[in-house]
Amino acid sequence: MRLNIVTPTKKILINAEIDEVLAPAFRGELGILPGHAPLISTLDTGVLKYKLKGSSEYKKVVISWGYLEVTPSSVNILSETAEEPFEIDLSRASKAITEAEKKLATGDITLVEMEKLQRKVKRARLRKLASEESGAKK
Amino acid sequence: MAGLANIRKRIASVKNTQKITQAMKMVSAAKLKRAQDRIVNLRPYSMGLRTAIADIVVSHRVSHPLLDQKGESKKILLVIVTSDRGLCGSFNSSINKYAYKYYQENKEKYEALDLLFIGKRGSEFFRTRGVKGTETILNLAKEISYSMAEDMALRIKEFFTKGDYDEVRFIYNEFKSAISQDLTSEKLLPVDITYSQIDSEEHSFAKDIIFEPAPEAMIEGLLDKHFSTQVFRCLSESVSAEHGARMTAMDNSTRNAGEMIDKMTLTYNRVRQEAITTELTEIISGAESV
Repeated sequence: MRLNIVTPTKKILINAEIDEVLAPAFRGELGILPGHAPLISTLDTGVLKYKLKGSSEYKKVVISWGYLEVTPSSVNILSETAEEPFEIDLSRASKAITEAEKKLATGDITLVEMEKLQRKVKRARLRKLASEESGAKK
Repeated sequence: MAGLANIRKRIASVKNTQKITQAMKMVSAAKLKRAQDRIVNLRPYSMGLRTAIADIVVSHRVSHPLLDQKGESKKILLVIVTSDRGLCGSFNSSINKYAYKYYQENKEKYEALDLLFIGKRGSEFFRTRGVKGTETILNLAKEISYSMAEDMALRIKEFFTKGDYDEVRFIYNEFKSAISQDLTSEKLLPVDITYSQIDSEEHSFAKDIIFEPAPEAMIEGLLDKHFSTQVFRCLSESVSAEHGARMTAMDNSTRNAGEMIDKMTLTYNRVRQEAITTELTEIISGAESV
């Protein structure tokens, strides 16, 4: 089974051979193993995990809104943003959280902006989590 | 004949200009590389979205306001993408000329034909001709990002969903290569999916696919993203084309400056020689008469 993860600005994985994918899907975490029934789902902001072929370790990617398609031979993921733990800047993530929360607290924003900021906070939290977890393993 | 000092001054000034154009050319080349990478990186994503939408629409006959083809369009929003800065050859003028002609020819035909400018050059061109746009977005060339394109797309989409317009058309320069741009006029809304019919057959899309959530709910998000991606693509194409055009223009002017310097150096030497000859003749004739 092959995995593709692409975003508007970069290609994270193209045709990587994998054994398993755990994706933050519309209805909670979704595990996909080879031979999965064809499926199309939207993805939530969350941590996507995958195991490369023959490896026993999960690799992580933090993604935001996305689209997932399972075909007999591959899993295709289109995501708005995707970051691997090593790219994540912890201090920036913390700063993003405090800044967004400050803005949210003022209340002087539109609904669309609020939604956007909330997503931002969620993403930043996940970023922190993902990078801290992988940091602890080392 | 111009004085020696004068010519020397002119040569120095042209040399300075040449240095500037040379530097600008190199800057554009570097920026072009980055802009090109952006297009290349975007491609798999936009292709993926496109096939996804096509698959869902064709297999489930989903309809959506953004997909609706209401037959003849009556109210059109033209988005004209130009650059903020000049010195890039015919990059802006060709867009402006085309858009102006289109505007003149079609403004009677439609109920509404409004213009939205991205980039200073287009808005100024139309302003001097007494045509006002609905909105002007500037500062594009610095660094365009997906989130910026997304905001823009949301705004444009709102016009469309409110019913202000029933067609959104982008006029921009498509990047072909560093030396050539293609002027493109493309309809971005409503989303056109006719191209997918052939594609979906070889895609062998099974109908017994599991959808989470239902396709009708999913198409909304996908179409939004598709439109944002398309806007982003148009902007990226335009920015790449701009850098390409500027690079070529600056390359040409560097070469022209070189030619000019050669020509002036020649004149300079000739004038200098003449002056020396005259001086010598004067000295010799002076010596002879003694």
